[in-house]
Amino acid sequence: MSTGKRLFHIALQFKKTILLALLMLSVAVAAELTGPFLAKKMIDTHIMGIELPWYETAEQPFAVPYQDRWYTRQDHVQEEGGQPGKEVRILQVGRSYYFVDQPISFDGERTATDRELTIIKGSEQAVYPAVKLSVPELFAFFRPETKGLLVLAAFYGGLLVIASVLHYGQKFMLQKAANLVIRKLRIDVFAHIQRLPVTYFDHLPAGKVVARVTNDTEAIRELFANVLASFFTSAIYLVGIFTALFLLDTRLALVCLLILPVMFVWIAVYRKFATRFNFVIRTLISDINGMINESIQGIPIIRAFRKEKEAMSEFAELNDNLFAYQNKMLRLNATVSFNLVMLLSNLSFVCFIWYTGWASLTGGNLFTLGVMYAFVDYLTRLFQPIRQIMNQLANFEQARVAAHRVFELLDEPGADVETGSVPRFTGKVSFENVSFAYQKDQDVLKDISFEAMPGETVALVGHTGSGKSSIINLLFRFYEINQGTIRIDGRDISQLPKQHLRQHMAIVLQDPFLFTGTIASNVSLNHPDISRERVEQALHAVGADQLLHTLPKGFDEPVLEKGSTLSAGQRQLISFARALAFDPAILVLDEATASIDTQTESFIQQALEVLKKGRTTFIIAHRLSTIKNADRILVLDRGRIVERGRHEELMELGGKYHQMYQLQQRKSSVASIG
Amino acid sequence: MFSIFLKMGWFFKENWQRYTLAIVLLMAGSLLEILPPKIIGMSIDEMYLGTLTGERLIGILIFFTVLAFAIYVITYLWVSRLFGGAYLAERTLRAKLMRHFLRMTPTFFQRNRTGDLMARATNDLKAVSMTTGFGVMTIVETVSFTAMILLTMFVFISWELTLMAILPLPIMAYAINRYGRKIHERFSLAQNAFGALNDQVLESVSGVRVIRAYVQETADQQRFQEMTDDVYRKNIAVARIDSLIQPTVKLLIGISYMIGILYGGYLIFQQKLTLGELVTFNVYLGMLIWPMFELGELINVLQRGNASLDRVNETLGYRADVSDAQETIAVEVPTAICFDRVTFRYPSARGEQLKDVSFTLQRGQTLGIVGRTGSGKTTLLRQLLREYPLGEGRIAISGQPLEKIALDNVKRWIGYVPQEQILFSKTVRENVLFGKREGTQEELQHALQLASFAQDVQRLPDGLETLVGEKGVALSGGQKQRVSIARALMIDPEILILDDAMSAVDGKTEAEMLTSIRQERAGKTTLIATHRMFAVQHADWILVLDEGRIVQEGTHEQLMAQGGWYKEQYERQQAEELLNEGQVKP
Repeated sequence: MSTGKRLFHIALQFKKTILLALLMLSVAVAAELTGPFLAKKMIDTHIMGIELPWYETAEQPFAVPYQDRWYTRQDHVQEEGGQPGKEVRILQVGRSYYFVDQPISFDGERTATDRELTIIKGSEQAVYPAVKLSVPELFAFFRPETKGLLVLAAFYGGLLVIASVLHYGQKFMLQKAANLVIRKLRIDVFAHIQRLPVTYFDHLPAGKVVARVTNDTEAIRELFANVLASFFTSAIYLVGIFTALFLLDTRLALVCLLILPVMFVWIAVYRKFATRFNFVIRTLISDINGMINESIQGIPIIRAFRKEKEAMSEFAELNDNLFAYQNKMLRLNATVSFNLVMLLSNLSFVCFIWYTGWASLTGGNLFTLGVMYAFVDYLTRLFQPIRQIMNQLANFEQARVAAHRVFELLDEPGADVETGSVPRFTGKVSFENVSFAYQKDQDVLKDISFEAMPGETVALVGHTGSGKSSIINLLFRFYEINQGTIRIDGRDISQLPKQHLRQHMAIVLQDPFLFTGTIASNVSLNHPDISRERVEQALHAVGADQLLHTLPKGFDEPVLEKGSTLSAGQRQLISFARALAFDPAILVLDEATASIDTQTESFIQQALEVLKKGRTTFIIAHRLSTIKNADRILVLDRGRIVERGRHEELMELGGKYHQMYQLQQRKSSVASIG
Repeated sequence: MFSIFLKMGWFFKENWQRYTLAIVLLMAGSLLEILPPKIIGMSIDEMYLGTLTGERLIGILIFFTVLAFAIYVITYLWVSRLFGGAYLAERTLRAKLMRHFLRMTPTFFQRNRTGDLMARATNDLKAVSMTTGFGVMTIVETVSFTAMILLTMFVFISWELTLMAILPLPIMAYAINRYGRKIHERFSLAQNAFGALNDQVLESVSGVRVIRAYVQETADQQRFQEMTDDVYRKNIAVARIDSLIQPTVKLLIGISYMIGILYGGYLIFQQKLTLGELVTFNVYLGMLIWPMFELGELINVLQRGNASLDRVNETLGYRADVSDAQETIAVEVPTAICFDRVTFRYPSARGEQLKDVSFTLQRGQTLGIVGRTGSGKTTLLRQLLREYPLGEGRIAISGQPLEKIALDNVKRWIGYVPQEQILFSKTVRENVLFGKREGTQEELQHALQLASFAQDVQRLPDGLETLVGEKGVALSGGQKQRVSIARALMIDPEILILDDAMSAVDGKTEAEMLTSIRQERAGKTTLIATHRMFAVQHADWILVLDEGRIVQEGTHEQLMAQGGWYKEQYERQQAEELLNEGQVKP
């Protein structure tokens, strides 16, 4: 489905709000358009109307007494009032009014003296006897109109209030719709992020993902807040103007219809360029987000190594690039947007003058003067909505590209997050001929088989890249295996929803991640089932109370972003406590105690000994003290298990495990000699 | 409200030529735009009066065509100048922000969350840039246009009627001003909420493994939804006000229009106004509707820009809590590092993290710092990096107080390997050469050898050119640490700071690295904080810290003789190692 269609489908979910807004907009526009008609009527009928012919009549409604006679204005003369009498006129010269006791034969330039009023039109001239009216005398002639004037004014005021209220409703509703759409998209995207496999995030800087969830969704705002309303009113106006044009003159209207295909081609060409630029712009904004994030994370190093200038120039490159593309986009807009509408409108008038002027020179005028003026007026009005549309096209395109990026993320395949719970595992883990490759043909794990009994501790040993971490990743189903089966309690884990699988597993990473909150909230992760008591127990168990008691608020001490105020050791302890608080059946420690001092570590070891019961534990560690007690040690080399057994057994075997220690032994002695 | 132009004054001053040209062209363009309707009217009149000749028609057509293109070119020029200015402002401010981030110390980053800073550098700048482009255009257009029309009405038609008709304008000004203040207030809140949302997403993405491993997807989604709702509510609060602007303007202009007609009528009755004047007056009044609208929109844009600029300036206005002294003393070589009763606490913490710490380290010596997790080892090392304001007591290098030596001067000597392994999204080569780009292949190899990473490089998919960091392959903790160490060794620093830098490296490799580093760095100073006692046993002086105090100090031999924590730990660790070694040779 195209981006436009998908946006439309999302908008449909809020169709009530949007349609209501558009309805209010239509009524408001109608009310607004009525305003000028009322004003025109007020001026033409009730104010200018005084210059209409007046007739001497009997006393009747709207009749005005003047010098003992009654006069009624032409449009107010009533049939049953009998035949109207003599026609008189009231004419304005300069700012004064004159009473002329007879009809005038033509109107033109007026001059007046005390007793005479002269009208000159071209070579004609007429002189009439006239009497200048005093202010109260004149006012008498206006008096019958005041009521109508005030009624119209009240009507106008009423329309004004209605239009204002509707405009408010319309604007607010559209903004509401825009915000609803954004919120909906954000929630969808974020929910989808939870569905995406972990691999998706491996090579994508966090800052860039953030840009899609927040910045790109934000860029859609204009589409619903302004673009939609603009397109809608413009469309109404276009229909109205074309209708009027057809009523005026079919030939001219047909010629004007040409503008529509021109517009389509024009928009297509514009979009071709704009889409490309917009994609680059949105990508650069997300790159900038990514780089700001990475730079902030790296600032201790940048500053310590005095590389601020270099970091700045790298950033400047992106920033300048964005500027360059924004300018390209700007030049495109300045070339083909409202500016071009103006040029086209002017050029069409040039053609119009050429065509009609040529006709007028050769065979006489094609149209009446009235048609000419009306046509010019309509043509001018025709270009207004087109200008509106073209003006909003830039916003429209930007929103489309931003939406495209959002949909792209939404289209990444993912697995639904399952809720519900499964009974606790007993903790038997078995790998059966498991092979795995991150990339095709580059097996990281080859034919791995082993079994871990409930309550056993399994240590994974091997060089970096030998596949230790991959085994853990597969166990948690962060990655999916290519071949073989992994079973927990005899059940194939690929058949379990990931969330159920992980429910009774916990991991402590070497680089522990803390969330903004408190120490306690980082242990419980605000899980409703984990009581405060259990949090404290867990923290006690890992010896954290001794460590954290210097903090003023103890376990409620705030944890800032990524726990930046805590030391690496403190962070590891907290994440250790987290793992314990979740009371997993299967516990994975990935170099979990590296930054913890020996004293505390031995403390944890003791706690673990107690907690190990009923828990299957996997350990990746460099410190032999943590490994030597393991029930099973798996020695990995280039993705294969080359040896397995208890520490003593492996030593006796004298194979790879033995060799590794020998090699390290020799290396260190060589180093100390040389 | 218009204070944003003052706040951005430096920018307009810097780019006065751009803006002057743009404004002049904008006004010229507006003046030329008056011509086409006149030409059309004139031509039609001439056609029907029969005064049009072939020559004249050609003249008109040529003039009109030229005029059309002239308007096009002029508009193109001012649009690209003026809105280019908007992008320029955005770029300039973004560069400023980034430069500022790079100058900031950890205290700043503890107070400002990364996601929010990112929002300021993208979303807020968009609002600011609107004012420097659209804002300027609207002000120039509306103010000049409105002034022209009002003046015409005032002078040529009726000052009395004009005054009456603009009676609602002060109300409008008052109302819009009030709205403006509200928008400013509410938009600030909305932008803050957006910043917080940005941060929440950043945290969720950065901590994705923890969230997945602990099945927190739903809870995390719930949290996100609450924040999205908050952003939604706050934006709706803005919309409630900003939707008011247009209707208010329409209503008040409508009232003006009504006053114009009714009072105009009254003036006609009073014989103070002609009918023609009334019609013209109302045409002019009608022409004011559009600029008044724009004015309303302008206020909206200005206030949003203002609120966002305040957020940006708040960030830019944060003074780094550590900066160079007014007069610095240049120190060529760091001979002795001397701590004299140093007491220190972090700006955000209570209690002291270092208490009364004194020691002297001569050039070429190695200092070992041991102690339990959280005892203050890192805090002590960080004193030299001056990431925080100095505490009480005195730290001197080569006899000069540390605060008198320029930061750059101090850092020139230091090679720093922090606890957290920070690598950039670059290749291994670029990461190691980070501190010394001009380093040769030999130097690079040498640093990798010293850091025991040379062999690992061969196992990486693209060797030295393997991409690491956020976008690259996931290195293990030990590998990251060794790349970090190689990076520090690459610059062959006078002072090497290793802050628990080998925790994820196995003991043998650590010993091997320490030995070669010691040989390599003869005559240079090294500070090592560690949990493994044997890593510091060759140090010239060892400090044992507990809760920020030195509880024991001396050489390895002295400390062993003395007994206490150090000896206990050393023996315990040695026993473990011996146990393992013993099993190697049964």
